[in-house]
Amino acid sequence: MRARSAGAPKFLNLSQIRFPIGAIASIGHRLSGVLLMVSLPLLALALDRSLRSEPEFAALRDLVSAPWRALLLVILVWAAAHHLFAGVRHLLADIGVGSRLAQARTSAWAVIVAAGIIALAAALRWLS
Amino acid sequence: MRVSIYRFNPETDTKPRMQDYDVAPEAGDKKLLDVLMRLKTMDDSLSFRRSCREGVCGSDAMNINGRNGLACLTSLQGMKEPVVLRPLPGFPVIRDLIVDMTQFFAHYHSIKPYLINNEALPERERVQSPAEREKLNGLYECILCACCSAFCPSFWWNPDKFIGPAGLLQAYRFISDSRDTATAERLAYLDDVYRLYRCRTIMNCTEVCPKGLSPSHAIERIRLALVRESS
Repeated sequence: MRARSAGAPKFLNLSQIRFPIGAIASIGHRLSGVLLMVSLPLLALALDRSLRSEPEFAALRDLVSAPWRALLLVILVWAAAHHLFAGVRHLLADIGVGSRLAQARTSAWAVIVAAGIIALAAALRWLS
Repeated sequence: MRVSIYRFNPETDTKPRMQDYDVAPEAGDKKLLDVLMRLKTMDDSLSFRRSCREGVCGSDAMNINGRNGLACLTSLQGMKEPVVLRPLPGFPVIRDLIVDMTQFFAHYHSIKPYLINNEALPERERVQSPAEREKLNGLYECILCACCSAFCPSFWWNPDKFIGPAGLLQAYRFISDSRDTATAERLAYLDDVYRLYRCRTIMNCTEVCPKGLSPSHAIERIRLALVRESS
Protein backbone atom coordinates (compact mmCIF):
# COMPACT_ATOMS: atom_id res chain seq x y z
CA MET A 1 0.00 0.00 0.00
CA ARG A 2 1.33 3.43 -0.91
CA ALA A 3 0.38 6.22 1.44
CA ARG A 4 -0.54 9.47 -0.24
CA SER A 5 2.19 11.26 1.68
CA ALA A 6 5.11 9.03 0.66
CA GLY A 7 8.34 10.96 1.26
CA ALA A 8 6.70 13.24 3.81
CA PRO A 9 8.65 14.09 6.98
CA LYS A 10 8.00 12.22 10.20
CA PHE A 11 8.48 13.43 13.74
CA LEU A 12 10.41 10.68 15.49
CA ASN A 13 13.13 12.40 17.49
CA LEU A 14 13.39 10.12 20.52
CA SER A 15 15.14 12.78 22.61
CA GLN A 16 11.99 14.92 22.36
CA ILE A 17 9.65 12.18 23.51
CA ARG A 18 8.90 11.81 27.21
CA PHE A 19 9.09 8.08 27.81
CA PRO A 20 7.15 6.38 30.61
CA ILE A 21 9.13 4.30 33.10
CA GLY A 22 8.06 1.04 31.41
CA ALA A 23 9.68 2.17 28.17
CA ILE A 24 12.92 3.02 29.98
CA ALA A 25 12.98 -0.44 31.60
CA SER A 26 12.35 -1.92 28.16
CA ILE A 27 15.15 0.05 26.47
CA GLY A 28 17.44 -1.08 29.31
CA HIS A 29 16.37 -4.66 28.65
CA ARG A 30 17.39 -4.35 24.99
CA LEU A 31 20.65 -2.59 25.75
CA SER A 32 21.64 -5.06 28.48
CA GLY A 33 20.80 -7.94 26.14
CA VAL A 34 23.16 -6.62 23.48
CA LEU A 35 25.92 -6.07 26.06
CA LEU A 36 25.52 -9.60 27.40
CA MET A 37 25.52 -11.15 23.95
CA VAL A 38 28.70 -9.35 22.98
CA SER A 39 30.51 -9.99 26.27
CA LEU A 40 29.45 -13.55 27.15
CA PRO A 41 32.01 -15.30 24.88
CA LEU A 42 34.80 -13.22 26.46
CA LEU A 43 33.51 -13.88 29.97
CA ALA A 44 33.26 -17.62 29.26
CA LEU A 45 36.82 -17.53 27.96
CA ALA A 46 37.93 -15.68 31.10
CA LEU A 47 36.21 -18.26 33.31
CA ASP A 48 37.93 -21.05 31.42
CA ARG A 49 41.34 -19.36 31.88
CA SER A 50 40.74 -18.64 35.56
CA LEU A 51 40.03 -22.31 36.25
CA ARG A 52 43.17 -23.62 34.61
CA SER A 53 45.68 -22.76 37.34
CA GLU A 54 46.33 -20.43 40.24
CA PRO A 55 48.84 -18.23 38.35
CA GLU A 56 46.37 -17.81 35.47
CA PHE A 57 43.65 -16.83 37.94
CA ALA A 58 45.98 -14.27 39.53
CA ALA A 59 46.98 -12.90 36.11
CA LEU A 60 43.33 -12.48 35.17
CA ARG A 61 42.57 -10.77 38.49
CA ASP A 62 45.40 -8.31 37.85
CA LEU A 63 44.08 -7.74 34.33
CA VAL A 64 40.65 -6.62 35.58
CA SER A 65 41.96 -4.61 38.50
CA ALA A 66 42.70 -1.57 36.29
CA PRO A 67 39.89 0.94 37.02
CA TRP A 68 38.49 1.20 33.49
CA ARG A 69 38.39 -2.58 33.12
CA ALA A 70 36.72 -2.88 36.51
CA LEU A 71 34.21 -0.28 35.30
CA LEU A 72 33.46 -2.51 32.32
CA LEU A 73 32.79 -5.35 34.72
CA VAL A 74 30.44 -3.16 36.77
CA ILE A 75 28.53 -2.31 33.57
CA LEU A 76 28.28 -6.01 32.75
CA VAL A 77 27.03 -6.78 36.25
CA TRP A 78 24.35 -4.12 35.73
CA ALA A 79 23.50 -5.67 32.35
CA ALA A 80 23.14 -9.16 33.81
CA ALA A 81 21.02 -7.93 36.73
CA HIS A 82 18.78 -5.67 34.63
CA HIS A 83 18.30 -8.29 31.95
CA LEU A 84 17.41 -10.97 34.46
CA PHE A 85 14.92 -8.82 36.41
CA ALA A 86 13.34 -7.26 33.30
CA GLY A 87 13.08 -10.71 31.73
CA VAL A 88 11.29 -12.18 34.75
CA ARG A 89 9.00 -9.12 34.75
CA HIS A 90 8.13 -9.81 31.11
CA LEU A 91 7.51 -13.51 31.70
CA LEU A 92 5.17 -12.71 34.56
CA ALA A 93 3.36 -10.07 32.47
CA ASP A 94 2.88 -12.67 29.74
CA ILE A 95 0.78 -14.77 32.08
CA GLY A 96 -1.09 -11.74 33.35
CA VAL A 97 0.85 -11.15 36.59
CA GLY A 98 1.48 -7.45 37.19
CA SER A 99 0.28 -6.45 33.74
CA ARG A 100 -2.05 -3.69 34.94
CA LEU A 101 -0.62 -0.21 34.44
CA ALA A 102 -0.06 0.72 38.10
CA GLN A 103 1.63 -2.62 38.86
CA ALA A 104 3.68 -2.46 35.66
CA ARG A 105 4.95 1.01 36.59
CA THR A 106 5.94 -0.21 40.04
CA SER A 107 7.69 -3.31 38.69
CA ALA A 108 9.55 -1.22 36.07
CA TRP A 109 10.86 1.03 38.86
CA ALA A 110 11.73 -2.05 40.92
CA VAL A 111 13.74 -3.56 38.04
CA ILE A 112 15.67 -0.33 37.47
CA VAL A 113 16.37 0.29 41.16
CA ALA A 114 17.31 -3.35 41.95
CA ALA A 115 19.73 -3.54 39.00
CA GLY A 116 21.16 -0.17 40.06
CA ILE A 117 21.74 -1.38 43.63
CA ILE A 118 23.51 -4.51 42.43
CA ALA A 119 25.69 -2.45 40.06
CA LEU A 120 26.45 -0.06 42.93
CA ALA A 121 27.48 -2.97 45.14
CA ALA A 122 29.78 -4.20 42.37
CA ALA A 123 31.22 -0.71 42.00
CA LEU A 124 31.91 -0.46 45.73
CA ARG A 125 33.58 -3.88 45.64
CA TRP A 126 35.79 -3.30 42.60
CA LEU A 127 36.22 0.43 42.21
CA SER A 128 36.90 1.55 45.76
CA MET B 1 1.47 31.58 27.36
CA ARG B 2 4.22 30.43 25.01
CA VAL B 3 3.43 27.65 22.56
CA SER B 4 6.04 26.12 20.27
CA ILE B 5 4.52 24.32 17.29
CA TYR B 6 5.92 22.00 14.63
CA ARG B 7 5.30 23.60 11.23
CA PHE B 8 5.59 22.02 7.82
CA ASN B 9 3.96 23.15 4.61
CA PRO B 10 4.66 20.66 1.80
CA GLU B 11 4.23 23.41 -0.81
CA THR B 12 6.81 25.81 0.59
CA ASP B 13 8.99 23.94 3.12
CA THR B 14 11.69 21.40 2.42
CA LYS B 15 11.89 20.40 6.08
CA PRO B 16 9.88 21.01 9.25
CA ARG B 17 10.63 23.85 11.67
CA MET B 18 9.38 24.95 15.09
CA GLN B 19 7.47 28.20 15.42
CA ASP B 20 6.88 30.01 18.71
CA TYR B 21 3.64 31.81 19.51
CA ASP B 22 2.74 33.96 22.48
CA VAL B 23 -0.92 33.87 23.30
CA ALA B 24 -2.98 35.04 26.25
CA PRO B 25 -5.67 32.50 27.15
CA GLU B 26 -9.00 34.13 28.00
CA ALA B 27 -11.35 33.30 30.84
CA GLY B 28 -13.27 30.62 28.96
CA ASP B 29 -10.17 28.84 27.70
CA LYS B 30 -9.86 25.63 29.68
CA LYS B 31 -8.26 23.17 27.34
CA LEU B 32 -5.28 23.18 25.01
CA LEU B 33 -7.62 23.06 22.01
CA ASP B 34 -9.09 26.45 23.09
CA VAL B 35 -5.61 27.96 22.81
CA LEU B 36 -5.03 26.30 19.44
CA MET B 37 -8.31 27.74 18.17
CA ARG B 38 -7.22 31.16 19.40
CA LEU B 39 -3.87 30.74 17.61
CA LYS B 40 -5.73 29.80 14.44
CA THR B 41 -7.41 33.21 14.50
CA MET B 42 -3.94 34.83 14.80
CA ASP B 43 -2.32 32.68 12.10
CA ASP B 44 -4.74 31.02 9.72
CA SER B 45 -1.95 29.02 8.07
CA LEU B 46 -1.65 26.90 11.22
CA SER B 47 -3.18 23.49 10.48
CA PHE B 48 -4.56 20.87 12.84
CA ARG B 49 -7.56 18.56 12.94
CA ARG B 50 -10.39 18.99 15.41
CA SER B 51 -14.10 18.36 15.43
CA CYS B 52 -16.14 17.47 18.52
CA ARG B 53 -13.84 19.31 21.00
CA GLU B 54 -14.76 16.89 23.79
CA GLY B 55 -12.73 13.69 23.40
CA VAL B 56 -15.21 11.76 21.29
CA CYS B 57 -14.04 12.16 17.69
CA GLY B 58 -10.32 11.60 18.30
CA SER B 59 -9.26 14.16 15.67
CA ASP B 60 -6.91 16.36 17.67
CA ALA B 61 -4.39 13.74 18.77
CA MET B 62 -0.88 15.17 18.89
CA ASN B 63 2.37 15.01 20.80
CA ILE B 64 2.02 17.45 23.70
CA ASN B 65 5.20 18.18 25.66
CA GLY B 66 6.63 14.83 24.61
CA ARG B 67 3.53 12.71 25.24
CA ASN B 68 0.64 11.86 22.96
CA GLY B 69 -2.77 13.13 23.92
CA LEU B 70 -5.89 14.91 22.77
CA ALA B 71 -5.66 18.71 22.78
CA CYS B 72 -9.35 18.92 23.73
CA LEU B 73 -8.86 16.83 26.88
CA THR B 74 -5.57 18.42 27.95
CA SER B 75 -6.18 20.95 30.68
CA LEU B 76 -4.31 24.25 30.46
CA GLN B 77 -3.98 24.30 34.22
CA GLY B 78 -0.47 23.37 35.33
CA MET B 79 0.88 22.93 31.80
CA LYS B 80 4.64 23.21 31.52
CA GLU B 81 5.72 26.13 29.32
CA PRO B 82 6.61 26.49 26.58
CA VAL B 83 3.98 24.04 25.48
CA VAL B 84 5.64 22.05 22.71
CA LEU B 85 3.27 20.60 20.13
CA ARG B 86 4.37 18.13 17.51
CA PRO B 87 2.49 15.76 15.22
CA LEU B 88 1.93 12.14 16.27
CA PRO B 89 5.36 10.45 16.26
CA GLY B 90 6.19 8.07 13.44
CA PHE B 91 3.30 9.11 11.20
CA PRO B 92 3.97 10.87 7.86
CA VAL B 93 3.22 14.58 8.22
CA ILE B 94 0.79 16.05 5.70
CA ARG B 95 0.95 19.56 7.10
CA ASP B 96 1.82 21.01 10.55
CA LEU B 97 0.05 18.82 13.12
CA ILE B 98 -1.93 16.85 10.55
CA VAL B 99 -0.63 13.34 9.91
CA ASP B 100 -1.42 10.74 7.27
CA MET B 101 -3.40 7.96 8.96
CA THR B 102 -3.82 5.77 5.86
CA GLN B 103 -1.61 2.99 7.25
CA PHE B 104 -3.25 3.16 10.66
CA PHE B 105 -6.73 2.69 9.19
CA ALA B 106 -5.50 -0.03 6.81
CA HIS B 107 -4.51 -2.05 9.90
CA TYR B 108 -7.88 -1.27 11.47
CA HIS B 109 -9.72 -2.53 8.38
CA SER B 110 -7.52 -5.64 8.25
CA ILE B 111 -8.92 -6.94 11.55
CA LYS B 112 -12.49 -6.80 10.14
CA PRO B 113 -13.92 -4.35 12.66
CA TYR B 114 -17.52 -5.49 12.34
CA LEU B 115 -19.67 -8.26 13.70
CA ILE B 116 -19.43 -11.50 11.71
CA ASN B 117 -22.25 -13.95 12.25
CA ASN B 118 -23.43 -16.22 9.45
CA GLU B 119 -26.09 -17.96 11.48
CA ALA B 120 -29.73 -17.46 10.53
CA LEU B 121 -31.04 -14.06 11.54
CA PRO B 122 -33.07 -14.16 14.74
CA GLU B 123 -36.62 -12.86 14.72
CA ARG B 124 -35.68 -9.79 16.74
CA GLU B 125 -32.12 -9.06 17.91
CA ARG B 126 -29.07 -11.17 18.84
CA VAL B 127 -29.41 -11.28 22.59
CA GLN B 128 -26.51 -10.86 25.00
CA SER B 129 -26.56 -11.55 28.72
CA PRO B 130 -25.41 -8.70 30.98
CA ALA B 131 -22.24 -10.72 31.68
CA GLU B 132 -21.51 -11.09 27.96
CA ARG B 133 -22.11 -7.39 27.39
CA GLU B 134 -19.82 -6.58 30.30
CA LYS B 135 -16.89 -8.13 28.40
CA LEU B 136 -17.05 -5.34 25.83
CA ASN B 137 -16.46 -2.63 28.42
CA GLY B 138 -13.00 -1.15 28.11
CA LEU B 139 -12.89 -2.16 24.43
CA TYR B 140 -15.78 -0.55 22.56
CA GLU B 141 -14.93 2.95 23.83
CA CYS B 142 -11.86 3.31 21.57
CA ILE B 143 -12.17 6.41 19.38
CA LEU B 144 -9.27 5.53 17.02
CA CYS B 145 -7.34 8.71 17.80
CA ALA B 146 -4.04 6.80 17.31
CA CYS B 147 -2.40 8.22 20.47
CA CYS B 148 -1.48 4.65 21.46
CA SER B 149 -0.12 3.35 18.15
CA ALA B 150 1.86 6.56 17.65
CA PHE B 151 3.50 6.08 21.06
CA CYS B 152 4.41 2.44 20.50
CA PRO B 153 8.07 1.75 19.59
CA SER B 154 7.10 -1.53 17.92
CA PHE B 155 4.70 0.40 15.68
CA TRP B 156 7.35 3.06 14.93
CA TRP B 157 9.79 0.44 13.63
CA ASN B 158 7.24 -1.80 11.85
CA PRO B 159 4.28 0.41 10.90
CA ASP B 160 3.52 -1.69 7.84
CA LYS B 161 3.55 -5.11 9.55
CA PHE B 162 2.55 -4.68 13.20
CA ILE B 163 -1.16 -4.01 13.61
CA GLY B 164 -0.46 -1.77 16.58
CA PRO B 165 -2.28 -1.34 19.90
CA ALA B 166 -5.37 0.41 18.49
CA GLY B 167 -6.02 -2.24 15.84
CA LEU B 168 -5.39 -5.07 18.32
CA LEU B 169 -7.71 -3.55 20.92
CA GLN B 170 -10.41 -3.38 18.23
CA ALA B 171 -9.63 -6.96 17.20
CA TYR B 172 -10.14 -8.12 20.76
CA ARG B 173 -13.39 -6.16 20.97
CA PHE B 174 -14.84 -8.51 18.30
CA ILE B 175 -13.07 -11.63 19.61
CA SER B 176 -14.76 -11.13 22.97
CA ASP B 177 -18.18 -10.39 21.48
CA SER B 178 -20.50 -13.33 22.23
CA ARG B 179 -22.50 -12.61 19.06
CA ASP B 180 -19.47 -12.93 16.77
CA THR B 181 -18.87 -16.39 15.27
CA ALA B 182 -15.54 -15.71 13.52
CA THR B 183 -13.31 -15.94 16.62
CA ALA B 184 -11.16 -18.78 15.22
CA GLU B 185 -10.56 -16.93 11.93
CA ARG B 186 -9.78 -13.70 13.75
CA LEU B 187 -7.25 -15.44 16.01
CA ALA B 188 -5.68 -17.26 13.05
CA TYR B 189 -5.17 -13.93 11.28
CA LEU B 190 -3.50 -12.38 14.33
CA ASP B 191 -1.23 -15.38 15.03
CA ASP B 192 1.78 -13.88 13.29
CA VAL B 193 5.22 -12.76 14.43
CA TYR B 194 4.56 -9.23 13.22
CA ARG B 195 0.82 -8.60 13.37
CA LEU B 196 0.48 -9.52 17.06
CA TYR B 197 3.80 -10.64 18.47
CA ARG B 198 5.73 -7.45 17.72
CA CYS B 199 4.19 -6.18 20.94
CA ARG B 200 6.94 -6.15 23.55
CA THR B 201 4.67 -5.25 26.48
CA ILE B 202 6.26 -1.83 26.84
CA MET B 203 2.76 -0.50 27.67
CA ASN B 204 3.29 2.98 26.24
CA CYS B 205 -0.15 2.51 24.66
CA THR B 206 -1.92 2.17 27.99
CA GLU B 207 0.13 5.06 29.43
CA VAL B 208 -1.20 7.55 26.89
CA CYS B 209 -4.73 6.36 26.02
CA PRO B 210 -6.89 9.48 26.52
CA LYS B 211 -9.93 7.28 27.15
CA GLY B 212 -8.16 5.33 29.91
CA LEU B 213 -8.32 2.05 27.99
CA SER B 214 -5.70 -0.67 28.11
CA PRO B 215 -4.66 -1.96 24.67
CA SER B 216 -1.79 -3.88 26.34
CA HIS B 217 -4.36 -5.84 28.37
CA ALA B 218 -6.35 -6.62 25.20
CA ILE B 219 -3.15 -7.85 23.52
CA GLU B 220 -2.41 -10.03 26.54
CA ARG B 221 -5.91 -11.53 26.31
CA ILE B 222 -5.46 -12.26 22.59
CA ARG B 223 -2.17 -14.04 23.31
CA LEU B 224 -3.78 -16.09 26.06
CA ALA B 225 -6.72 -16.96 23.76
CA LEU B 226 -4.22 -18.22 21.18
CA VAL B 227 -2.45 -20.33 23.81
CA ARG B 228 -5.77 -21.81 24.95
CA GLU B 229 -6.78 -22.53 21.37
CA SER B 230 -3.55 -24.37 20.58
CA SER B 231 -3.58 -26.51 23.74
